[in-house]
Amino acid sequence: MTHSLHRTGTPENLKDDFVVLVTPAVGINNKGSQDKLREILDFIFDLGPTNIGSYETGTVFSGATIEEIKEKLSETPRVRVCFSSKEKVKKLVEFIKERDFGLSVTVSGLVDEIKDITQAVNIQPHSINLSLGIHGKTEALPSPEVLEFVTMCGHGMISASLVERLIADVKAGRRTPRQAAEEMARPCVCGIFNPDRAAKLLQKYERQ
Amino acid sequence: MRIDEDKCIGCGVCMPYCPAGAISIQNKKAHIDRDKCLECGTCGRARVVRCPRGAIHEDEDVYQRPRSIRKYFSDPMAYHVETKVPGRGTEEVKTNDVTGRVKKGQFGIAIEMGRPCLGASFVDIEKVTMALAREGITRFERDNPLTHLMADPEKGIFTDEAKQCRVVSAIIEFTIPDEMLERTLATIKEVAQEIDTVFSLDLISRLENEPTIAVAPQLEVLGITPRPNAKVNLGLGRPLKED
Repeated sequence: MTHSLHRTGTPENLKDDFVVLVTPAVGINNKGSQDKLREILDFIFDLGPTNIGSYETGTVFSGATIEEIKEKLSETPRVRVCFSSKEKVKKLVEFIKERDFGLSVTVSGLVDEIKDITQAVNIQPHSINLSLGIHGKTEALPSPEVLEFVTMCGHGMISASLVERLIADVKAGRRTPRQAAEEMARPCVCGIFNPDRAAKLLQKYERQ
Repeated sequence: MRIDEDKCIGCGVCMPYCPAGAISIQNKKAHIDRDKCLECGTCGRARVVRCPRGAIHEDEDVYQRPRSIRKYFSDPMAYHVETKVPGRGTEEVKTNDVTGRVKKGQFGIAIEMGRPCLGASFVDIEKVTMALAREGITRFERDNPLTHLMADPEKGIFTDEAKQCRVVSAIIEFTIPDEMLERTLATIKEVAQEIDTVFSLDLISRLENEPTIAVAPQLEVLGITPRPNAKVNLGLGRPLKED
């Protein structure tokens, strides 16, 4: 599924929000791909990701360790990682291109920012998945402010009521924006929720 | 999911984490409404919801039909038995550079029913697949687990068993030739008025050179503006599908 697509927000607050997925294709090149992914994971850990996890372990914000993520790669392994820095994404893409692993890589983020990366690394991208918005009974959705947090977990694991409660905690001074953002990050099992972006979004609720 | 009432102390720590709002406190114990519960597994993950007594567990029937349908379409940590792919759809654009799922001269469309927040019943999902089938779209993505639940893909009809289920989200996925884009999107917009939930809409296309939204003028005619953020396949997979 497209769990990294459909993040709502403004171009300004989406500017430093990137998700990189490395995905061996089932039945085509997944056999023997674990070691390649471990090498990529090592590079990611050295770079310093904003969030990372796996379907087998959950994320670093729910207590998963780097070693555990590497150790528990399945027979159809995947790397899902979130960055708040275009430079780091560029370095990762450069590394994967240079090593020629032959595995598929997608980057989700603002199209203009991704264009900067592909041009800098001299890559001709293959395909694009566009978000054409939300349709249907949109009047039943939570507020746009809540959706900006909830849609950072495309699997739908972060409940609107948790977001509302954590916003209330920030307003009341019970939690800092960073503490609330890290709590919000925990139900996301794959690691693409961006707590840096969430903390910035939460700052407007802080007591003045 | 179920609560072990002998262990539960009614602290309510689990309540806000449920994306479906299925947990309440009744008689000083947490209670999970089985109809509302979509089996996403969030409340039972000890690393996420720190239940002080470890009182939240999976039901015994969660991996048996029909309950398993909820599980596989709601819990990203559950791998679909049919496709070996975790999550709810296929690899879509993620591996398009090696699968060639969406070719030049085609568009890939994914309708992510229930996303965000509201969840979806297969009754609503069927309204959309039937509308598409009436337009001649009957070849739904073979590797998508949703397709395995269809009783009659030619008509877009699901099994009665599936129609008893609600899920966090399920993805209707198919490809169309370029020239069918406007008609197909018009059909999708029309059926959106008939459903009791929402969907997020994806449009996959091949890129000739740099990532640009070349299809934007066509979408503008339909009153659709693509979001400025997208997902780009960099073309680093091998063997590369160039057709």
